Amino acid sequence: MATEVAGAHGHDEPDHLAPYLSQEAGRGVKGWLLTLDHKRIGLMYLISTLLAFFMGGVFALLVRLELFAPGRTIMSAEYYNRAFTLHGAIMVFLFIIPSVPGALGNFVLPIMLGTKDVAFPRLNLLSFYIYVIGATFSLYSIVTGSVDTGWTFYTPYSTTSQTSVVSMVLGVFILGFSSILTGLNFIVTVHKLRAPGLHWKRLPLFIWGTYATSIIQVLATPVLAITLLLLAAERTMGVGIFDPALGGDPILFQHFFWFYSHPAVYIMIVPGMAVASELFATFTRRAIFGYFAVAMSSLGLALVGFLVWGHHMFTSGQSEWATMLFSALTMLVAIPSGVKVFNWTATLYKGSIELTTPMLYALSFLVLFTIGGLTGLFCAVLNTDIHLHDTYFIVAHFHYVMMGGTVMAFVGGILYWWPKMTGKLYDEGLAKISWLFVFVGFNTTFLIQFVMGSKGMPRRYYDYLPQFEIYHKVSTVGSWLLLIGFSICAWVLIKSLRSGPKSPPNPWGSAGYEWQGTESPPVMQNFRETPTITRGPYDYHLCTDEELFDGFPEDLKK
Amino acid sequence: MASAHSDHGHGDHPKFLAHHFDTPEQQFDAAKFGMWVFIVTEILMFGGLFVAYLIYKGQEPSVFIEAHRRLDWKLGSANTIVLLFSSLTAALAVRSSQLGKKNETTMWLMITIACAFVFMGIKYVEYSHKFHDGLLPGRYFTAHLPEHAHNGQVLPQRANMYFALYFMMTGLHGLHVLIGASALGYVLYRNLRGDFSPEYFTPVEIGALYWHLVDLVWIYLFPLVYLVG
Amino acid sequence: MSDHSHAHDDGKVHAHVSPFLFMVAIFGALVVLTVVTVAASRFDFGSANTLIAVLIATAKAALVATFFMHLKYDKGFHALIFVMSFVFLGVFLLITLEDVDTRGRVDNASTVRMHERRGEQAPGGFVLDPRGVQARERQPAGGGAHH
Ligand SMILES: [Cu+2]
Repeated sequence: MATEVAGAHGHDEPDHLAPYLSQEAGRGVKGWLLTLDHKRIGLMYLISTLLAFFMGGVFALLVRLELFAPGRTIMSAEYYNRAFTLHGAIMVFLFIIPSVPGALGNFVLPIMLGTKDVAFPRLNLLSFYIYVIGATFSLYSIVTGSVDTGWTFYTPYSTTSQTSVVSMVLGVFILGFSSILTGLNFIVTVHKLRAPGLHWKRLPLFIWGTYATSIIQVLATPVLAITLLLLAAERTMGVGIFDPALGGDPILFQHFFWFYSHPAVYIMIVPGMAVASELFATFTRRAIFGYFAVAMSSLGLALVGFLVWGHHMFTSGQSEWATMLFSALTMLVAIPSGVKVFNWTATLYKGSIELTTPMLYALSFLVLFTIGGLTGLFCAVLNTDIHLHDTYFIVAHFHYVMMGGTVMAFVGGILYWWPKMTGKLYDEGLAKISWLFVFVGFNTTFLIQFVMGSKGMPRRYYDYLPQFEIYHKVSTVGSWLLLIGFSICAWVLIKSLRSGPKSPPNPWGSAGYEWQGTESPPVMQNFRETPTITRGPYDYHLCTDEELFDGFPEDLKK
Repeated sequence: MASAHSDHGHGDHPKFLAHHFDTPEQQFDAAKFGMWVFIVTEILMFGGLFVAYLIYKGQEPSVFIEAHRRLDWKLGSANTIVLLFSSLTAALAVRSSQLGKKNETTMWLMITIACAFVFMGIKYVEYSHKFHDGLLPGRYFTAHLPEHAHNGQVLPQRANMYFALYFMMTGLHGLHVLIGASALGYVLYRNLRGDFSPEYFTPVEIGALYWHLVDLVWIYLFPLVYLVG
Repeated sequence: MSDHSHAHDDGKVHAHVSPFLFMVAIFGALVVLTVVTVAASRFDFGSANTLIAVLIATAKAALVATFFMHLKYDKGFHALIFVMSFVFLGVFLLITLEDVDTRGRVDNASTVRMHERRGEQAPGGFVLDPRGVQARERQPAGGGAHH
């Protein structure tokens, strides 16, 4: 049958039953750049987001290096302002937001759903190219004077700064559409393209998380678009909507910006939670405790996330009543987050835990996200926040969530699905060493920033008082440990690509749908036969030995 | 449920059906659902401007009321009727393509697109009046100067905010009119090519949905900006 | 497909075809409502002006969505997400308005009060509350308007 079908296609037609990375599935550069295959698009997203991570990381290292000693260390204050702005803007808009949905979501979601592709493959490719165009605008901004406003583009500074704000703002505006289209595609795919038997209560938690993320992307990103459009109009045409001199209200900009950007925090963290749920299930060999509660808490985060944006504006001059309202509403966020953390912990209890590298990253995620989440409550309390606002405490808090949470889960997810994506195994020993550097380096960099911030060190400052020097020194050394860790990790992946042993279809022995009935790497249309789902994604007790076998099928018979 | 590979090269998989869908109904539902999600994004994008408008209007109601008298409510009403009528013809285009009446579909689509141009023409007349009277956004606003007095009266300078929002809202809406007209133009081309049938009229339906969205935005924009001030 | 729970599961597209005259009648209703909204704008209902305009517009939007956009014959979920978009917009509008309307109620020195250039009250600042917040003397325009 397979050969018959392949023969029916012309030479340029991709063969739907060839491994998706092979020449038969799409030839040469054209086969990649014009591909409609969600797996290839996912890989292109993976490469681009990792490039963005590298760029953002370089700026982070420069910022930390500059802060190694008080006064001027390697760059002037003007360049320092640009460096932290670019670090933030690149990490947020070019890396974290597209990372898990764009790269892992694109690759894994349709396979988990048991379908051949996302609902709108052409829109999917378009979304990738919109991402590339947006990134190009941002790069253009960087080389033509860059931006020094901070990633939040607050007015009135952003409307008066002499740097290249408009092209960066247009870049982010365009990137937003990429995010919207990805979210739209995923929502429709989850609704319309599930395999037979895959009803909502059998959806893997990765799907639930990605689905909740997509809802936020679709609802919040348009408001960012209009905000940035107004900002660009303000700079180019002087419309004055945020300019007090023309009757505008700069605080309104903050409302507009955070109406998107607080939900955007959940665009960043919920996919991380989604990945972590998969890792916990596979490496404890059991169903996620409280599956339904974890699934619903993703949706809960998505909804509550729209009610709390003003907690970024406690000291902005917004009304005291609004401040109190936002403070109270922000406390609600702790509920769905707590539901997740407790259920993951309960999953670990008496699970048969296997400490592979992805699992180490998942456990790091659990610990670091909890720290990040709990310190977030300090910031939500009004009187504490007056002291902590705009200090390194905030910096440490959101890095614990964004990097300790999402990046840890992202790296864990890459390693976990790596054998499925590439068909190659990687060096577990070396990967564990890299994890150790990343984990220790992360905590060295950021734990001390809580202390520094609570003692009053403001964020974004170029210079500081002598009593903060020791904290900054430790933090900078931590950033070097992170560099070592990620470099080893990159080497592990490159080595695996070059000379990694071939992966069996299900190297982790997981019950997850994406590991069943597919090869590593999968064929172009994912499955040789449309799967029929007869059990939940974590029903280890219902799986046959054959399904959970972590070797090659031919060895099973022996 | 067809197995994954049996549908290649078989007669039960019509040409318009993409390979990852099993049935035309599934494909149609997916397209329509996707369009509705997209409509949600558009509503929130325009919504941002409406929020800004309502907030500033609430802050300086008398200035906004004074400023809105400088808009021509007759032209605005005419444009409202034009858009409402084009919405009707867009809906009729869907109807005729559902019934397989290709020529009728062509006619309704052409009328819809023509309405888009009429709308933009009226918009052009309005805009050129505003430019001429110095009713420009933000820092280019000059209608408070004596040489731009209207019936012997000048607007307060703070009216610049009203015109900033007026131009942002109607400008973005006008852009959507143009995008919608182009989309309908593409649908028209495909209709003339004979792509559609009672079994497959998805692009007509999707294009019409987009066009109704453009109408929906105007339905709110017209009374809020032209009538209430 | 798991989504298919219809009585007719032949996989064909089943869309409602609306009668021609019915559609024209809807258009007529829309025109009538347009006339009503123009007429209503001739009368001053005070602070209800905007509300009345929005309500009439919502009636028109409902007609377009229900009949021209076929929501009546469509999946209920499409209507749900359509309505939800307005709900989220409402959240955005109401909470932002709540901030703008109550600025300075508790601590009237906490915000910028006036335009530097014009010495007029800034929209970003608070409007002095007639219910007893003591009006502070206005500082001269330019220089020192910030507290
Ligand atoms: Cu927040």
